Amino acid sequence: MAEPAGLLPGDPRARLAMALILAFGFAAVGQVGTVPALLALALILALVAGQPARLLRGLRGPLVLAAAFVLILPLVSGATVLWQAGPLRLRAEGLEAGLLIAGRLLAIVTVTLTLLATLPAHRLAAALRGLGSPALLADLLLLTLRYLDEVRGEILRARLARRLRGGGAGWRDLPGHGAMLALALIRSQRRAENIWAAMRLRGHAAGLAVPPPPLGASDRAGIAVAAGLAGLLLLMDRVA
Amino acid sequence: MHLPDGLLPVGMAAAGYAGSAALLGLSLNRIARLPDPGAAMPRAAMLTAVFFAVSSIAVPVPPTTVHPMLVGLMGVLLGWFAVPAILVGLFLQAVLFGHGGLTTLGLNGLILASPALIAWVVWRALAPRAPTVAAVIAGSGAAALALALFVTLVLLGLPADVDGAAERAALGVFVFAHLPLVLAEGILVAVVLRVLARVEPGLLPDG
Repeated sequence: MAEPAGLLPGDPRARLAMALILAFGFAAVGQVGTVPALLALALILALVAGQPARLLRGLRGPLVLAAAFVLILPLVSGATVLWQAGPLRLRAEGLEAGLLIAGRLLAIVTVTLTLLATLPAHRLAAALRGLGSPALLADLLLLTLRYLDEVRGEILRARLARRLRGGGAGWRDLPGHGAMLALALIRSQRRAENIWAAMRLRGHAAGLAVPPPPLGASDRAGIAVAAGLAGLLLLMDRVA
Repeated sequence: MHLPDGLLPVGMAAAGYAGSAALLGLSLNRIARLPDPGAAMPRAAMLTAVFFAVSSIAVPVPPTTVHPMLVGLMGVLLGWFAVPAILVGLFLQAVLFGHGGLTTLGLNGLILASPALIAWVVWRALAPRAPTVAAVIAGSGAAALALALFVTLVLLGLPADVDGAAERAALGVFVFAHLPLVLAEGILVAVVLRVLARVEPGLLPDG
């Protein structure tokens, strides 16, 4: 069983299903008046999960992007001028579109990070497999995570060796960067082949994995609540 | 260069999932026909790890930042495996870092996987006669095509009443900021393939 985070379901399949239902439900919202409800729901979910610091770190990039939408779209989109200062005109339609896009973005990323970023990687692969995705995808995901440290290590070693030989930095020495990448690939490939051969010898194959147990009551309840909330939001959005 | 969540209408996001699923189904079908489909797994996973790590690095190209895509390299070195590899890389970026998006995973997959496959086809056709030119065209062409697909989808998704002049200016800045990347991707693919051909030809497709 997976470790539950706060009051969230522990089964990774339930978390993935909830994330997809809520993300697509949020993405379908079309009225800016529904955005506060979206954000409140995402915030409540994040508080229930109980890892606000980690979430805030993950939200730094999306926050910058959301701010860009809110700042730029009112200046370039729409006809109804709300405020003017010289050539700058703040328009109502652009402001509405910017707030809607930014709200949907932040709510979806919050839900995604809350439900999925807290899962260990192998549980993510298990969730994909459990929800019927091809075995090759689950294998590829597991192996990618397994090799990530190897590849990072090789790239760092190749970069250090290149600097010690007097290699330049930045875009000016692109061929040098290419050669470094190629050598890191060659070294990583040798390790990767060995790891994969050992895994196959030990009988690893996602396609032959033991069938996952059925979802528990709390997992099914989590999915039902997510579907209900997404439906309620869309209803609010349509009647607004 | 990933489409974020929330920008595009949900219908486009759903269509992106359908398109990516079709492309994935086709590629898995072709992979299953290989004599030993599992043999290429280490290379595919390793390049997925490289794609994941490298595309998380933002390179400042004033007035914005861009990151390497390596879709041409993925296509040339992985062939049909490039499609699942790119989708897995995008999925990890979305769920672990919120980079890209969960709802736009399908569209982002199409933006990057289709150019990767085209790069592979172009490279196979041209490499026997002019390997360096083929590599540069595959790398730069794939990056340029991905850029064009991205811009097209953003234009389709933005509000209809965006000021035309402002839109052109914003797209001009965006494309200009990515031009060095387009050129760099071609050079990178050419250098990587040349080094592989000399040091480890077994890593080259059909090598």
